[in-house]
Amino acid sequence: MECRVLSIQSHVVRGYVGNKSASFPLQVLGFEVDSINSVQFSNHTGYSHWKGQVLTADELHVLYQGIKLNNVHQYDYVLTGYTRDTSFLEMVVDIVQELKRANPNLVYVCDPVLGDHGSMVMDLLHAMGPDTVVITSSDLPSRLGDRFLVSLGSQRHVRPDGSRTTQRVRMEVHKVDAVFVGTGDLFAAMLLAWTHHYPNDLKMACEKTFSVMHHVIQRTISYAHELAGPGRRPSPPQLELRMVQSKADIEDPAIVMEAIVLS
Amino acid sequence: MECRVLSIQSHVVRGYVGNKSATFPLQVLGFEVDSINSVQFSNHTGYAHWKGQVLTAEELNELYEGIKLNKVNHYDYILTGYSRDTSFLEMVVDIIKELKEANPSLVYVCDPVMGDHGAMYVPEYLLPVYRDKVVPLADILTPNQFEAELLTGRKITTEEDAVEVMDLLHKMGPKTVVLTSSDLPSKRGDQFLVALGSQTIVKPDGTNTSQKICIDIPKVDAVFVGTGDLFAALLLAWTHHHPKDLKAACEKTVSVMHHVIKRTITYAHELAGPGKRPSPAQLELRMVQSKADIENPAIVVEAKVLQKSSH
Repeated sequence: MECRVLSIQSHVVRGYVGNKSASFPLQVLGFEVDSINSVQFSNHTGYSHWKGQVLTADELHVLYQGIKLNNVHQYDYVLTGYTRDTSFLEMVVDIVQELKRANPNLVYVCDPVLGDHGSMVMDLLHAMGPDTVVITSSDLPSRLGDRFLVSLGSQRHVRPDGSRTTQRVRMEVHKVDAVFVGTGDLFAAMLLAWTHHYPNDLKMACEKTFSVMHHVIQRTISYAHELAGPGRRPSPPQLELRMVQSKADIEDPAIVMEAIVLS
Repeated sequence: MECRVLSIQSHVVRGYVGNKSATFPLQVLGFEVDSINSVQFSNHTGYAHWKGQVLTAEELNELYEGIKLNKVNHYDYILTGYSRDTSFLEMVVDIIKELKEANPSLVYVCDPVMGDHGAMYVPEYLLPVYRDKVVPLADILTPNQFEAELLTGRKITTEEDAVEVMDLLHKMGPKTVVLTSSDLPSKRGDQFLVALGSQTIVKPDGTNTSQKICIDIPKVDAVFVGTGDLFAALLLAWTHHHPKDLKAACEKTVSVMHHVIKRTITYAHELAGPGKRPSPAQLELRMVQSKADIENPAIVVEAKVLQKSSH
């Protein structure tokens, strides 16, 4: 498999968010990952303290120029996540547009990190551009009760005869009583990998992706509770994803949840 | 295995040098890797073009402060490589000293990158910083012949010279020294280069002994970048698993290098086409494709144990 991803996300010295969360699993699955670090922080901002430096839009442009001057700006995927800066995001847009011109088959996987809202706007989102939309979590009531949250996915296909079809899926995801950081970044990276292997089967791609998330999160919360001790809430350092320890689950996830096809 | 490494090296967007070369193999082998990127460049400087930004000594300190304020400045290993800046290197020294105070068992793996084949490719004024401040803190040192000569002020023309130089390096600090390459003639002919290693061990009766080894490594007709960084990371991993058996650690390390390099050169020639020399972009290490070899290397070299000596 010869597949190159450009990932433009944060770097933390310690822990698993942004590029730290996305790179290892993608590399373990055989993807070449070129990574532009939009920031370099000591750790994620959920800790008591954090320190570091941010990349400006100009510096991002300079890095991209280096890649371009060497004529190696050909990518199969672009992956982006958390940004705080409009000019940076606009530079990302310019870069993605140029990369799409260089490779019209390029797939841009975008986690539009804005905060937590939870509204059902699948068709509106498709109309704005993406053929695949996954609402990673919502407040919709789960038929399994309040220990579960609902995730939804929708994928548009064009049939050989030119007509459109849409596959919609729904997952009931077990809630975990903890705040994890970096899980969204891991999710987007794994969705990239599994939609690559199952480009026309959103059900399968979601089952694999959500299953990996489950294994990593279970391993993480178990270890966090061991570290914290009985009756104590684990701290942010203790809750860092058990990423390298989850390599086998990343490579070959046991499927532990079912995506129901809605239509 | 719960083992945390702090690696302070370059980051390149594309390719495998510095932290890009060291991190994936260590993570695949189950190490937690905290990485401070000393620079962020588009690619390594062997390409026609390169662009990017460097981290200052102050910014390095800031990042370390963040780790320290959260009380998570506990590491089992530190790994450093290529540096061009004395103030940066001196900040690295300060950080290592503090981390060693926090954990006296910490192992510092140091690649004293200064040059090769008789020429320096860092500023000359880095040598005294390495010699007087960095190397004394190192527990594992991976110089090539030229760097070992610079650090000790001695020339290596025979195996005996190499053994003496490694003993001098032990006296400067590191208990484990690996001369990653040399110009010494190999008994297997000129298609091989000679690498040597030395590890001092304290015997139960308190006296010192050392295990000295040499390995014949097949030469490859290409210029690779990032292989030294990969070597140091792998040596960290394999000495961790074989702390008193430098022979085993080196055989595993050199074997992984062999598999990665072979895969890389084969692919590079495919990309370049018949009769054409591959470009730097084509010669990037086939790192993710070598995952299985990194995890469980088939041993393809044998290290020879040289005389044991007590001193």
